[in-house]
Amino acid sequence: MFDWLMWFTRMDNSKPLALVLFFGAFCGVLIYVFSSKRRAERLESYKYIPLLDDAPRQPDTASASDRSQTRKVMDNE
Amino acid sequence: MAQSSALPAEQYNYDIVRKFTIAAMVWAVIGMSVGVYIACELAWPFLNFDIPALTFGRLRPVHTTLVIFGFGGSALFATSYYIVQRTSQARLAFPWVAEFTFWGWTGGVALGAITYMLGLSQGKEYAEFEWPLDIAITLVWVCYFAVYVETLRRRSQPHIYVANWFFLAFIVAVALLHIFNNLAAPVSLTKSYSLFPGVQDAMVQWWYGHNAVGFFLTAAFLGMMYYFVPKQAGRPVYSYRLSIIHFWALIFLYMWAGGHHLHWTSLPDWVSTLAATFSILLLMPSWGGMINGIMTLSGAWDKLRSDPIMLFLITSLSFYGMSTFEGPLMSLKSVNALSHYTDWTIGHVHSGALGWVALISFGSFYHLMPRLYDTRMYSQTLIYVHFWLATIGIVLYITSLWVAGIGQGLMLRSFDDYGNLAYTFIETVEFMHTPYIWRALGGAFFVSGTLVMVYNMVMTVRAARHEQAAIEAKLAAKLAKA
Amino acid sequence: MRHEQIETNSGLMLLLILLVISIGGLVEIVPLFYINETVEKVDGIRPYTPLEIRGRDIYIREGCYLCHSQQIRPFRDEWLRYGHYSLAAESQYDHPFQWGSKRTGPDLARVGGKYSNQWHVQHLVTPRSVVPQSIMPNYPWLLNTDLDYSDVADRMRALRATGVPYSVTQQEYDANVKKFGKTVADQLDITQATDNLLKQARDQDFDGIPSRITEMEALVAYLQMLGTLVDFTKYDEGYFTTFR
Repeated sequence: MFDWLMWFTRMDNSKPLALVLFFGAFCGVLIYVFSSKRRAERLESYKYIPLLDDAPRQPDTASASDRSQTRKVMDNE
Repeated sequence: MAQSSALPAEQYNYDIVRKFTIAAMVWAVIGMSVGVYIACELAWPFLNFDIPALTFGRLRPVHTTLVIFGFGGSALFATSYYIVQRTSQARLAFPWVAEFTFWGWTGGVALGAITYMLGLSQGKEYAEFEWPLDIAITLVWVCYFAVYVETLRRRSQPHIYVANWFFLAFIVAVALLHIFNNLAAPVSLTKSYSLFPGVQDAMVQWWYGHNAVGFFLTAAFLGMMYYFVPKQAGRPVYSYRLSIIHFWALIFLYMWAGGHHLHWTSLPDWVSTLAATFSILLLMPSWGGMINGIMTLSGAWDKLRSDPIMLFLITSLSFYGMSTFEGPLMSLKSVNALSHYTDWTIGHVHSGALGWVALISFGSFYHLMPRLYDTRMYSQTLIYVHFWLATIGIVLYITSLWVAGIGQGLMLRSFDDYGNLAYTFIETVEFMHTPYIWRALGGAFFVSGTLVMVYNMVMTVRAARHEQAAIEAKLAAKLAKA
Repeated sequence: MRHEQIETNSGLMLLLILLVISIGGLVEIVPLFYINETVEKVDGIRPYTPLEIRGRDIYIREGCYLCHSQQIRPFRDEWLRYGHYSLAAESQYDHPFQWGSKRTGPDLARVGGKYSNQWHVQHLVTPRSVVPQSIMPNYPWLLNTDLDYSDVADRMRALRATGVPYSVTQQEYDANVKKFGKTVADQLDITQATDNLLKQARDQDFDGIPSRITEMEALVAYLQMLGTLVDFTKYDEGYFTTFR
């Protein structure tokens, strides 16, 4: 009944095993990242970080609008 | 170092960034000029002049070290110190340690170049530094790590921005690679023997060599891309989620690919097959990064027409995409059988090094310098001039080496009707003479572009100094009146 | 786990990065040291003699590996041009390996014995006097500079530390006699390093100047032994492929 477990003990099978594990991990990351809309919004909100750094100094229009957007996203949390 | 925290410009430590940026430009000019010189030596061997220090074999490591570690390394120090401060909204930690990384790194690179010319070398490509310099570099690197991580820890922004992930991976990976690849038994201060024998040494060396490309010249410069492209475009990066996926995939996959430098050698086949497989997989995260960078401009493509800095950044990403396609192609065993040992490899490296690494650095410098000196670039036109000189240079360089490399590869494997070799080796050397001249010309174009940049930068800084002086004079006059 | 946990914690992020980047190297490199099939079992391979070591040092000093490979691949054209493809065993005593990555000049893995000593000397001093289209630099100083062999024993000791079987003790010497035969074992004896070097230079006079031992002497000695150690007529082809 548990004979199939022996499959894991053979060194020859380490390659397909590793492949399945790594591919599984990759799919896991993909699912995590793209599955939920709310999570997506949350993650995407962090991309504004570099545009926040010189906030007090040069209020040029493009980054100002980006900033308000960021705030909105953060408020939703 | 002035440390009056009252001035907003002093919120961050820009002094160290300025130093490294200037050093990067100086190394760029010297390192690339040496490159053009040795390219000329291949076309006209009399240029070796029977002077030991000037022969190709000794100058080639000087060229690679000065451009990779001198130019590339200093550019990375400069931009990573800038980015980690700005995205963490914290001042750089341990300023004196950071100062030490500058003098240590600059001194290490300079000593490296000198010792190679004197004939001191470990005999491993891109790791020619003899062991005392290896130890010094390790020390500098540990300090770099400390400054970087401590600055991150002091961040007032809760999140660590993507660019910093890439820099972190780069710092950790390069430490690992550098230490293991340089393990050696010393004979004296100036001579050592690698700890690993033959086939194992080969694998360790190319695990190092390929990941020097993967982490030093790719991951870290992607960190640069993730900050400067969005900043220059004034809009956030295309997809944060894509950056999560391509970051982890990239750093995982790169470490497997080194064996593709050893196809068809005495390295066991299973390693090189594994390496080839992962090299092909690597195409996906590489293009993920490229798409993420280029698509940042989606909806604002007109910036390419009005902003020469954007032109540098986006062109560099295009070359990145091209060379990360060419790379997996060349890692296929059948293609590698032809391309390996030929100039195709050299051309490939330069489409990455000039097209991707240098162009993204130049773009970043043009963004950085006016901010570091609180001024504007001296001339927009000269930025365009630089861009076209560089681009023409790269195109000349890589096409001539496609001709030289593929041509030589095909000649070496062709047979006459009787099954004898159709060409002797020296006939292929003769054939490569013309492409070598074009390659040197391409390099010369690229260097002249770099010189234009340096001129533009010098004038920018001078103008900034004048402005500063004028303001101070006015202030002084006012104060005197009052 | 949320990705935010990683990106808000620099320590966790560092740890994960270290984990992710370690896997590839571990899987590909570590087994090479343990799997017996990595290096073929072949007779005739021996460590370098003291003179050859100094020659190899000069080869590395001048950066020869940047234009010449020492690694023949299993292709018909390379077979015809250079000879039998290289075996891992042939570089098992090489620290560092010198396989190279570029052939601006031809492969040198089996250059030994293909040309006379005299040809090598003239070719190294003025390559274009024997191969007019050559783009190799001239190396006249090799013939003008006396070889410094004062520290050759130190060099052998360092190589011994990396695992090359140079002998210091009687036991090690006896083991070498058993493994390589007496003639080779004598050459590997560190206590006789300088004498061995002088004797080889005197007997074979690679540089053509009997009165002097120049750097040329050492370099030509090294070049002339490259790829000559294995007698390929003793093995059938199927044997080597079991190791690939």
